[in-house]
Amino acid sequence: MTSEPPEPMLTGRLTVDALEGHLARVEREDGSLQDWPLTSLPRGVREGDVLRWHVEGRHLTFEIDLEGTRERRQAAQAQLDALNGAVPAGEINL
Amino acid sequence: MRRLLALAALSLGLALAQSSGALSIRFLDVGQGDAVLVTSPEGKSLLYDGGRSEPVLQALLRQYGVKSLDLVAASHADADHITGLIPAINLYKPRFFLNNGIAGTTQTWGKLVTAAQKAGTQGLVARDQVINLGSVKITVLPPPPGLPKNEQNLNSIGLLVQYGSFRALMTGDSETAETAAWLKKYPASFLGPVDVYKSIHHGAKNGDNLAWLNAVRPRNVVVSVGPNNYGHPTAEALALYRQVGATTYRTDQQGTVTVVVQPGGRFAITTERGTPVPANRATTPATPAPVGPSVTTPAPPSYRTCAEARAAGAAPLRRGQPGYNPATDRDGDGVACE
Repeated sequence: MTSEPPEPMLTGRLTVDALEGHLARVEREDGSLQDWPLTSLPRGVREGDVLRWHVEGRHLTFEIDLEGTRERRQAAQAQLDALNGAVPAGEINL
Repeated sequence: MRRLLALAALSLGLALAQSSGALSIRFLDVGQGDAVLVTSPEGKSLLYDGGRSEPVLQALLRQYGVKSLDLVAASHADADHITGLIPAINLYKPRFFLNNGIAGTTQTWGKLVTAAQKAGTQGLVARDQVINLGSVKITVLPPPPGLPKNEQNLNSIGLLVQYGSFRALMTGDSETAETAAWLKKYPASFLGPVDVYKSIHHGAKNGDNLAWLNAVRPRNVVVSVGPNNYGHPTAEALALYRQVGATTYRTDQQGTVTVVVQPGGRFAITTERGTPVPANRATTPATPAPVGPSVTTPAPPSYRTCAEARAAGAAPLRRGQPGYNPATDRDGDGVACE
């Protein structure tokens, strides 16, 4: 007697690009954008949040990745701050 | 005779757009998103937002013969405003990247800032500042202090473009809290009237409002919008533009909208196709904006896959719409990439 192999569990991450009314525009890991009903995402989700999704069997679940969001935000802000470092004074003539 | 006149007008439009001494502002048809290309009489160029697709923006910059970019600006970090800035920076290595100082968390944002680093483009946090694009004065409207930093729309950067007596205003995806703060900060004589105004947030419900538009007093409004699931532009926003007597242009209906401004401030507006929605003519605009025939005719969009259509902000596509491809309409119900 052989036991059936366990169903593979799929996981991945989404980033909330923006909230547009009852929809959340999310960025998938391949960089593409999709609109998801806000009701399908965890309550309290906010713009900029990183979400983890899991598919196990027929069940798709989401959770807000608080630590991932914090790390992503800090790294992105540090990178932008460095880029914005040397600000020219006065009017700029191009 | 009518055909000859149309050809003459078309030639005139091209000549105006290409002649030295003219400012051109193109509200690019990037689908659902914003991208505005401003070119000074001296050939200095500014790209304010880049839409949500890298290939679409790249094709448009090529189509309009852009040779260089001096400044790119992200009104805020949402993907439908910044994605096209990535190839713009990679290709043209602009001197400055104007931003609101609040990083996004998406990969798209990371790619954009990395592109700027590699290109040697200097970041500029928006502040009360004037940037002279040759002889065109660009006044930056930074996000007012005190607004929550975790909401990008509320921290959109505005730009006021002035050339002679001509004035254009663009304010990203600002929401009422931001426009209310700007109303407190700036005198009405600074904000309006403006000859050409970019509709806030693609005509969303929480963007333009009567108090703000009564100060801005736009004579012509361009709504940069494409097929979308959000209900943009809303009937309420379109009614507001009529209420303040503005003629309305929509990039989803008229394609790219081009404004050519002569020294002194006289201007003409041309569209790729279609006609604008006439203003409620309670008052006659001081500077008439003649609408000409199309100046350029781009090839219709083609999407091999739904991923391409979504990236361009075009999905879903109905049969008969430009870009509809039966191969992407799997259930054959006339709606592709649902």
